[in-house]
Amino acid sequence: MTVDTAAPAPQATASGAGEHRSFKPRYPAWLALPSLAYQIIFFLGAMAILVAFSFATQTGFNQITYGFSLEQYKAVLDPTYLGIFVRTLAMAAGGTLLTVVIGYPVAYWMARYLGDKKLLALLLIIVPFWTSFLIRTYALKIILDSNGFVGQTLHLDIMYSAWAVGIGLVYNYLPLFILPVFSSLERMDWTLIEAANDLSAKPFSAFRQVTLPLTLPGFVTGALLVFIPMTGEYVVPAILGGGKFVFIGNVIGDAFNSAQNPPFGSALAISLMLALSIFVVIYILVATKEERFGS
Amino acid sequence: MSENQPTELRILAPREVKPKLDSLARDVQEAVGAPISRRQALSLGGLAVLGLSAAACGTASTGTTGGGASTAPSGSSAAGSLAGKPIENMLEIFNWSEYDDPSTYADFKKQSDIAAAGTQIHETYYASNDELIAKLNAGGAAYDIIVPSQNAVAQLIEENKLMKLDTSLIPNLSNIEPSFLKANFDPTGEYHVIKDFGVTGFYYNNKIVTEKIETMHDFFMALPKYVGKGRTNILDGAEEVVPLALMALGLDPNTDKDDELKQANDFLMSIRSGVTTISSDYIADASAGKIILGQGWNGDMRRVVAARKDQGDITAILPTGSSEIWADSWCIPTTAAHPVAAHHWINWLCTPAVAVKEMEYHNYPVPIQSALDQVPAELKNDPLFNVPTSLTDNYHYILNVSPAVVQKRTKIYTDFKAAS
Repeated sequence: MTVDTAAPAPQATASGAGEHRSFKPRYPAWLALPSLAYQIIFFLGAMAILVAFSFATQTGFNQITYGFSLEQYKAVLDPTYLGIFVRTLAMAAGGTLLTVVIGYPVAYWMARYLGDKKLLALLLIIVPFWTSFLIRTYALKIILDSNGFVGQTLHLDIMYSAWAVGIGLVYNYLPLFILPVFSSLERMDWTLIEAANDLSAKPFSAFRQVTLPLTLPGFVTGALLVFIPMTGEYVVPAILGGGKFVFIGNVIGDAFNSAQNPPFGSALAISLMLALSIFVVIYILVATKEERFGS
Repeated sequence: MSENQPTELRILAPREVKPKLDSLARDVQEAVGAPISRRQALSLGGLAVLGLSAAACGTASTGTTGGGASTAPSGSSAAGSLAGKPIENMLEIFNWSEYDDPSTYADFKKQSDIAAAGTQIHETYYASNDELIAKLNAGGAAYDIIVPSQNAVAQLIEENKLMKLDTSLIPNLSNIEPSFLKANFDPTGEYHVIKDFGVTGFYYNNKIVTEKIETMHDFFMALPKYVGKGRTNILDGAEEVVPLALMALGLDPNTDKDDELKQANDFLMSIRSGVTTISSDYIADASAGKIILGQGWNGDMRRVVAARKDQGDITAILPTGSSEIWADSWCIPTTAAHPVAAHHWINWLCTPAVAVKEMEYHNYPVPIQSALDQVPAELKNDPLFNVPTSLTDNYHYILNVSPAVVQKRTKIYTDFKAAS
């Protein structure tokens, strides 16, 4: 298979008839306006409000004066909040690691072993997503409870512990990891593994040198899809952690709701976004490297 | 006029009429059952309103700007002008859900003067004081009656959002226990009438905790001692954790003094290892016997004790010494379009016979002695319901004193939660 590195996009459609290949887009660009407008109003607009809040000064409960004050950002640098930032990132990293360890084999099994039952398995993975996040977390509480399955059968009292929070995180976000990894594995050309075997690669080194690099984009996408929402998690630590495992999301919630201090809550939220951007930058670097390396 | 739709009726009306049109619009929407456009609803509402006397809209304030900058017509002038005004034909209530007996509404409308005025009641609901304040700040809807908790009352007074009540329209106010007429959240007692109240205490498993714990300080000190024997729980929220610790130390829960807040912080940290969970959602778990020692509100604790009746292992305590009292109150926003009807409503709720029905419905005490004397014995004789004034005299309302104090409390609370 020869690959035209310059023009990957239209390749698929062009391979058929072999008539003239036009790289010009077919539809007028303004068709994108509605979705662009949606993005600008509801995404950038909300972001702009957050930024404006974060530089404002609180003058009363839920009352602010706009300006350019760095006071709230200074408050964010307090050891209390830095500690919670670190803990949140650590919990999210741990949760992501667990998700990878549990999710990758499942995706591999689905893609490699299930044949035409793949779609059924995919459906089963997605089905829990049809139920509200909150209800699923409460359901988990019943299983993890000391009088529930885990407590009575496994004799583990892990409710209101870091483990309970971890299990809640993994359970709620697992499908977001499995799906992209599954789709990478699905598209993989398994004859490459045969080739590796023929070249006397042991199964593990074949996996490490062929399968893993080829599924890396899906892997990284999945890990980020899981990691980022985990850092913003609010419900799981509140319900399964018994109020003991504060995530930065809970602190942000408290700042907005009970302290009625939007500037501080916004400064925390923006700081979290900045911290997360680092990971997105890493992703972009990895992704472009992968593209160069990929074919 | 860009559109020409014959189904529309455009009305030029005083700005004050808008809330009335809005509430009619809501009624029409409900009656129609299907969502109709706001424009259509307004024109329908307008048709109805044209047939009515426009006399009753003189008292609405201009306070739709919401900020503290405008010195909107002060409450006293608004209240003073109510005497002799007719009862409006509408009453817009914004309330916690299922907080009043259905018969209270029906019987209110049956009173001869209300029936003559044809007053209809429309009620919508909120789930938290934050939501109530947010709705009032947004300024879209106008309510005649709201039911804020003590904190929200203080804040709304501060922001000039509450009308001074015209006590000449609330003669039944004399039924309320005098000690409940003025509180630190409304020192002059001009802006609120208490609806009902509750207090914070604690409960424990008497098979495990065998010593006598009687004060809030005892409770906190017992936490590290018994945490090894089962789950302990304290109420969640910066406005609970920190002021309750201050009161356990015999300090003012509403203090703004740094050294006192520091004492509370150190005290809380010293018992941190004794706290398994921090949650205000404890009734189910406590009723299942999963909590051996926890803080609770009196109404909730009644339910827990009832649920554990067979085992008889839960003892609930209303602490001697200092603890929290909270109250929900009837208030009228300055933007109320139907203030006379609102005053009649409050007066109705201060009637002993109504208070009895209310208490049987929601199980929170209304401080009207003659009504408390008439409630069924199971309520009357249960101190968890009929909280003795000898206790409540020592209890304090917890207030959001100022943004700075709330910020400090929240910081202590966050540190406390994170330190595990």
